[in-house]
Amino acid sequence: MKLMLQIGVVFGVCLIGQTVSVFSPIAVPGSVISMVLLFLLLFFRVLKVDHIRQKADFLLKNMAFFFIPAGVGILANFAAVRDHILPLLAVVVLTTILTFGATAFTVRTVIAVQGKLGGGKAGSGEESHE
Amino acid sequence: MNEVFSSPFFGITLSILAYELGILIERKTKLAFANPLLIAIILCVAVIELAHIPLESYNVGGNLISVFLGPATAVIAISIYSQFSKLKKYFLPIFLGTLVGSLVSVGSAYLLCRVFGLDDVLTRSMMVKSVSTPFAVAISKSIGGLPAVSVAAVVLTGILGAVFAPLLIRLFGIKNPIEAGVAIGTSSHAVGTSKAIVIGETEGAMSGIALALAGILTVIITLFVKV
Repeated sequence: MKLMLQIGVVFGVCLIGQTVSVFSPIAVPGSVISMVLLFLLLFFRVLKVDHIRQKADFLLKNMAFFFIPAGVGILANFAAVRDHILPLLAVVVLTTILTFGATAFTVRTVIAVQGKLGGGKAGSGEESHE
Repeated sequence: MNEVFSSPFFGITLSILAYELGILIERKTKLAFANPLLIAIILCVAVIELAHIPLESYNVGGNLISVFLGPATAVIAISIYSQFSKLKKYFLPIFLGTLVGSLVSVGSAYLLCRVFGLDDVLTRSMMVKSVSTPFAVAISKSIGGLPAVSVAAVVLTGILGAVFAPLLIRLFGIKNPIEAGVAIGTSSHAVGTSKAIVIGETEGAMSGIALALAGILTVIITLFVKV
């Protein structure tokens, strides 16, 4: 599909996601709704991956770049955290490590338990290295 | 000169140059914390501060870049779609991992804030630090935190996740890409996911699923929180 059309498709999905987000009773960001919506469009074959391949590759390969202004924007919020900067930093660092570890440990344990219950088939590590 | 700086081209050009320089430094040094995003943010902040350019001027271009965050998050759907068989097979570990991770994030933020003697408002603001910004702002407002503090904590958490994900993967002896992806997405939302995508397609897809699940689960978890 032509690049302009691909951009149109992706942005169109985002517009719908944003609209749903506005009317959603709980706080779900438009981008997350758009992700689910795009997945459903692919799943039910309304869209093919090839329809948006180039545009998606551009966005995914450069994803970190799009976060630069958000990071620079911390400057605007610095005044709000300045007085407690050290304890807040400590909380951010420690909770990130704890959350990462707890999540990884849970996934590992559940896969191992599933593997044992399922006769050692699922999660026996056959997909661990790819 | 201010007319030059408040042109959208200023923020965009500065960001692109800083990012490309970040990629160059990452390639040359191969250091874990020589992360292009981190380097770019530091460079942009340095230029803005040293040249006394108002943040609003940078944001004229910066906001145009931020527009792409929505579409960039949305197209993670493609990775999830191509990894769908794994998502189906491992849904339970993915879901439970995200649930436990979100509980630990909210709970440990609460406990640590108490330990460090931070007040209630700051504590509430910090409890949403592991979910992406739109989730965090909405929750922070509804539980009586300061969105500005939440945003700062969220962005910093994301950058930390993106920079240290490879290190944490080794530290926790992670060999399974599903485990790595879910851990990155749950602990450091979309910014961490940008690194997960670089590490591998399975990691990227799992991180994408985890960031969405963690956000929704955190909305629910914080409904039951009284601080």
